[in-house]
Amino acid sequence: MSSSKLKTDVQEGTVRHEDTTAGPSTDPVLNQRLKAPRKGNPLPWQLVSALLAVVLIAVLWAGRSYQQPTAGVTAGISKSVSIGFRLAPANLDIRNQSGAALDQALIGNVYEGLVSRDQTNRVMPSLANSWEISEDATTYTFHLNPNLTFSNGDKLDAEDVAWSINQLMEHHYHDADQLQNFQSVKAIDKDHVQLQLTAPYANILWVLTGRAGLVFDRKAQYDPKTQAVGSGPYTVESFTPNSSLVLKANTRYWGRQHRAKTETLHLRYFADDNAAVNALKSQDIQVLAPITANLAAPFTKDTEHYSVHSGAGSDKYVLAFNNKGSKTSDMRVRQAIRYAINHQDLIDSRGGVDQPMGGPIPSVDPGYRDITNLYPHNPERAKRLMAQVGYTPDKPLTLRLTYPNTYGTELGDQLRSQLKPIGINLQLQVVEFSTWMQDVYTNHNYDLSLVDHSESHDFSQWTNPNYYYGYDSKVVRDLYAKAMAARKAEDTDHYLAQAAQQVSQDAPADWLFNYRITTVTLTGLRGFPLNLNQTLLNAWKISYSPDKPKTSGPAARALYDRPKWRSSDHATFLQYTIAG
Amino acid sequence: MRYLVRRIVLFILALWAISILIFASLRILPGDIATVMAGINSSPEQVAGLRLRLGLNRPLPAQYGSWLKDLVHGDFGFSMLTGRSISEQVAARASVTFPLVGLGIVLALVIGLTMGCLAVMARSTRLRSFCHMLALVAGSIPVLWGGLLLILLFSRGTGLIQIFPSQGFPDTGWRRPAEALQTMALPAATLGLVVGASITRYTRSALNDIAGSGWIDMARSCGMTRNQALMRVGLRLTLPQLVSVVGLTFAEMITGAMVVENLFALPGLGSGLITDIGNRDLIAVQSELFMLAAFFLVIGLIVDLLHRLLDPRLKESTVTGRGRS
Repeated sequence: MSSSKLKTDVQEGTVRHEDTTAGPSTDPVLNQRLKAPRKGNPLPWQLVSALLAVVLIAVLWAGRSYQQPTAGVTAGISKSVSIGFRLAPANLDIRNQSGAALDQALIGNVYEGLVSRDQTNRVMPSLANSWEISEDATTYTFHLNPNLTFSNGDKLDAEDVAWSINQLMEHHYHDADQLQNFQSVKAIDKDHVQLQLTAPYANILWVLTGRAGLVFDRKAQYDPKTQAVGSGPYTVESFTPNSSLVLKANTRYWGRQHRAKTETLHLRYFADDNAAVNALKSQDIQVLAPITANLAAPFTKDTEHYSVHSGAGSDKYVLAFNNKGSKTSDMRVRQAIRYAINHQDLIDSRGGVDQPMGGPIPSVDPGYRDITNLYPHNPERAKRLMAQVGYTPDKPLTLRLTYPNTYGTELGDQLRSQLKPIGINLQLQVVEFSTWMQDVYTNHNYDLSLVDHSESHDFSQWTNPNYYYGYDSKVVRDLYAKAMAARKAEDTDHYLAQAAQQVSQDAPADWLFNYRITTVTLTGLRGFPLNLNQTLLNAWKISYSPDKPKTSGPAARALYDRPKWRSSDHATFLQYTIAG
Repeated sequence: MRYLVRRIVLFILALWAISILIFASLRILPGDIATVMAGINSSPEQVAGLRLRLGLNRPLPAQYGSWLKDLVHGDFGFSMLTGRSISEQVAARASVTFPLVGLGIVLALVIGLTMGCLAVMARSTRLRSFCHMLALVAGSIPVLWGGLLLILLFSRGTGLIQIFPSQGFPDTGWRRPAEALQTMALPAATLGLVVGASITRYTRSALNDIAGSGWIDMARSCGMTRNQALMRVGLRLTLPQLVSVVGLTFAEMITGAMVVENLFALPGLGSGLITDIGNRDLIAVQSELFMLAAFFLVIGLIVDLLHRLLDPRLKESTVTGRGRS
């Protein structure tokens, strides 16, 4: 279309062929349309590159100037500390939303319970400064501290305590079923609360240190998913789901002992391990917990700037067998799997920090004994057991291992190769957590399952035949009942240990390892709890003072500016990055 | 005008169909938000209580009906999980993703157009094939690997030249633009390099096609040099094609930037969507998907209209009722 139009112009031009003005063409019309030629180079490359250089320099300069440490430092102690975590809370609704991330961030920091726990998992006073237990161990009378207040200024009294526990039971809020043998709770006067049980329950105080014992303001109106009103040493300043939670010291805090040492705590959540490691290296965060033992390796070498610790935890990696499943209901198959698994190999491949565990109770809980000798690694025995059931490596039994994708594929692959020689063909089915909840947890549709049971004091799941394990043992139920009815802690411990031994012998599951938390802190950070810090973080102790370096010269400067990384560290980082 | 009305009616019909599709397909997913919220130590009573409080036990048509009604009123609802308004949540995430993608596209255009033109116009054959090779190599780099490489080169803490932060987005958001821009630098560069390579290839092939056409011959016969002809006539003629490519790339990048968002720990739309699906926060997911679908359709509409603006031949063909060719 356009070329034909041009043609007409050209023809018209030839018709009006009168004056031939100077130009590149003999055609005056075309010459008229010709734009004046630009002087010099049509594309001023020199100018463009000069501009680019200026922009580049500006950006580099801006980058340099941004590197100053952001945390304000007064009198050597930083006013704010940033902590990196892995698992983020989706919302702040601690009465409905499950997940250890909420316990970790809020319990003891924003919300407080009647009683609390220290980092060795012992029960300590909190809102109640003391308590009395009746002779028959069914009536608990708690004495509250005087002058308790919530962060919004409301008074906290015994009515709030009774109301909170009654709401928990009435609405079946999270962990309501942990409060076993509950009969009633009432405020005797404004400083005294009485909890009545139908029968003794040895775990009651420990349970009250968790969600079941938290005290909420019955008068306050707020959206619990996005806000929090508690009585703890910190208040929630801002919350971005899956990203960060900022805690600010509570100016109205009633107590002295747990008063916050640092004004602002930034809890930051990293979905990606490498991003977290990077944040620590650039000192955007002062602590990272947890970090995999492998990724922590470069920090272990740099003792001048970092300390790497491993702490005890209650995480149990449970390889559950469907005890009512068609293939795994045969005890010999379950025992064979336990004999075939080389726990030390699994642990070594993860960095060698985790602990082997032979039964359902981790070292931080009552009833713990080392029972790893019950099912030692013995592939020959495993083979014989499988042969008795009729399976050999040539004619293997096919089993499906269903587990959430948060644990990666490596563990599954290792298990598959460990079980292959004894005549088990393990098929991996790595699914989303919600799918796992539906298929395995709710519908019990699985052969083998792998999940991290992180809770402490959760032995009761082995006494519930309807739990997804499908494990049903009257002996264990009786022993557990005895343990919970015992008045003395040592009796409870004794019966629980017996029950755990029985569970382990019956092989309803294999406990791959007790996960130990690796924490990396910057030099100068104090008071960060190392044990159990994924479920309980007494944050009031945390403080950070970037100490003046003792040495002078380049090394000392590096400490103050930021750590210098040698090329070997780059190589290590790259290696782990790619491997991870 | 008639064309516009027809497009808009189609647009609304498509949105409605999409809403049904999204709603139905999400209900096929196993698991629900109540079980996810209750977790692995929950009792059936607790899950039942949560379902009741969240309204999950209502029949599906009723749930769809109320969702659609809210949508028509411009209310995207509240996330069951976070309790926040979904439009606010999406806005917060979009305030990370859009600047990221915008910066990425700008960088990609600067790289792509320059390299594409160079690959056709440069006098030396070596430079031309070098540009072409570079585009091929850069285009084959996976985004994740490219991002890691940039981190190793330029990130604070780990990089060889430690200038840019490599993770996270400041809590203060865009209130401190310098900080926010800093965190965008590496992710935008990652996107820009990879997308820039593909734009280079498009520009190169489109310009090459035009270079051999009669238009360029005509322009040269009118006295332009080859490069003048390509810059003034050739580029203008390739514009409609480039606009389509850039428009679609932009829409694709909104969700495609997910890998980059995850690597650099940016709380953007893509990574948010993945989290919401994992948590079975279905109200949030369906509203977010709906918004994205609407956005894609709007981009499509804009690209089509721009096309007609840039290429008058299309307009004439509909005015006279003839087909495109």
